[in-house]
Amino acid sequence: MLHGRKAAIGCLCLLLLNGCAAWKLNDLAAQMPATGSEVTLERLQQVKTPERDRAQYLLNSGLLKLYTGDFTGSQQALQEAKQIMEALAATSVTENLAAFTTNETLRSYSGSPTDRVLVHVTLALTYLLAGDLEAARVEALQMDVTMRQFPADKTLGHLASARFIAGLIYELAGERDDALISYRLAYNILKERQEAVPAALQTSLLNLTRTQGFDREYHGYRSEFNRDADLPGSSEAEWLLVYFDGVVSQRTEARLTIFAGEANTLVTVVVPQYPGPGPSPRPLRWQATGNSGETAVLESVDRRVRQDLEAESGALLATATARAVAKYHMVRNAREQSELAGAFANIFSVLSEQADLRSWNLLPAYIQVARLRAPADSTVALPVKSFTDSEPELRSPGRLRVMFTSSYTPAVFGYPRATGVDTETHAINQITERQ
Amino acid sequence: MRLWIVAAFSLLLSACGTSVQRVAPDESIDLSGAWNDTDSRLVAEEMISDALARPWLGDYTSRTGTRPAVIVGSVRNLSHEHINVKTFVADMERSLINSGRVDFVASRDERGEIRDERIDQDLNAREGTRNAAGQELGADFMLQGQINTIIDAEGKQQVRYYQVDLTLISMADNRKVWVGQKKIKKLVKNPKIRF
Repeated sequence: MLHGRKAAIGCLCLLLLNGCAAWKLNDLAAQMPATGSEVTLERLQQVKTPERDRAQYLLNSGLLKLYTGDFTGSQQALQEAKQIMEALAATSVTENLAAFTTNETLRSYSGSPTDRVLVHVTLALTYLLAGDLEAARVEALQMDVTMRQFPADKTLGHLASARFIAGLIYELAGERDDALISYRLAYNILKERQEAVPAALQTSLLNLTRTQGFDREYHGYRSEFNRDADLPGSSEAEWLLVYFDGVVSQRTEARLTIFAGEANTLVTVVVPQYPGPGPSPRPLRWQATGNSGETAVLESVDRRVRQDLEAESGALLATATARAVAKYHMVRNAREQSELAGAFANIFSVLSEQADLRSWNLLPAYIQVARLRAPADSTVALPVKSFTDSEPELRSPGRLRVMFTSSYTPAVFGYPRATGVDTETHAINQITERQ
Repeated sequence: MRLWIVAAFSLLLSACGTSVQRVAPDESIDLSGAWNDTDSRLVAEEMISDALARPWLGDYTSRTGTRPAVIVGSVRNLSHEHINVKTFVADMERSLINSGRVDFVASRDERGEIRDERIDQDLNAREGTRNAAGQELGADFMLQGQINTIIDAEGKQQVRYYQVDLTLISMADNRKVWVGQKKIKKLVKNPKIRF
């Protein structure tokens, strides 16, 4: 009997510890605006997460490594996360049983539809910024396969940002047909969602339809966006700025009391929720010779993760209700045997009920973009980052240069990279003048 | 009854441990359905043996009286997978050299290191052991190629189609003297249920 009690107490402690890891990660995300990406990465590496949450840990650490310029580390982490999520696509018998009898956190973290697409987007960016366009192209192809697995008649799992980044990669590779197809798909997703088409995507669509000779389509976009193509002149270069803005909202626990008909009683269940309206976008200002502007929202990742949760909320509530009824019967049966057993069963029932708060916590709240042209010998600056793109050999007339930065790192990374840059040393890799 | 429980636990525990088994390098093992060492080796061997059986080789040898010098240029990975193209190129080089019917020239990266060494020899090696610059064998043909894929996925099933295209181009006049193509098609069924 004593051993049984010890085992029960041990199980409860383990369950509580599991919950702790999720809370700690949410806390890290909440503190990131103050601490920045490097400190957050250090703290993340100190959080002990159970093996079943490894994909979540790797996704967070891979993203932070991208922010800090450790592209190789980021690729390793995200590739492993991707493999784990693919392997976990099959339904687990034991995890389903554990989720039904105890709580949802006992399932392995297999990623939401948004996670499964954004892992390719993040990987594509890490490869691109490391100078490996061919590997970035592989990720663009893989994100297409991943998105095609989601129902085409719904927007869940279909990300305009993923299509746009794929288009950018094809454009950099000189594959303008594929680039235009990807930009069109990005446009279609935004239209389906009734979201604004950012100026960068408008420019990409107008420029490519114009140069590829799709006259009717070009005039359609021209009248819709009320502007012409913005093709670079013979002495001009183009810049495409990708900006990861903020951090997504964190899941919290919602406690609901509902009537369970089969037990003819009221039961209390806990389910995850996203509180409040979420963060607002904060555009990044850029300046070029005789020109200035700011980035615009291409994807509200915050809205996407909320939609992911909303899509599974019905199933989560049904499982939670069935679990609550099962626990109710367990407590009642235990009470019939002895008061003490009933009390233990009741404590287990209450403490083991936890909402699954796991998510890719550190995702940006918004993916913002800007596309601009300026004389190839001029400089492009990001005043907030105290950054000036002053590598003349990387810019030539007609060439497209990509710059990437996020809210929580002073670094700005670019493609193409300066020759002789060490891929392993992110300090050299940064093309920024640190504040 | 207890015996059964012990047996079941033993079975479960045995599934948890790491096991290592040595296998022959040429043994075909397909785990995920992705491009693997067997694909790389078989495609390289088959395509190079096809290239060596075509008329360009006899034409060149009878015209010049020498074996052609071949260099492997870029093989682009345009597939859906992160394929280590270097192992594929190495497999092709091995097949070409071992055929004994062509001379093989070092690649651009390899040449850089050799040239550095030659400069170093000029400064530091004994006169009789130095190798002079300007004596390299120029390539007569360059082998270029690309790996493409088409993936068709539905539910837990995937058809993975690989197409490897190689082209041998004459360095003298840009003529394509041989075009080879190898196709691989795999049906991958992923499990619907796991333990």
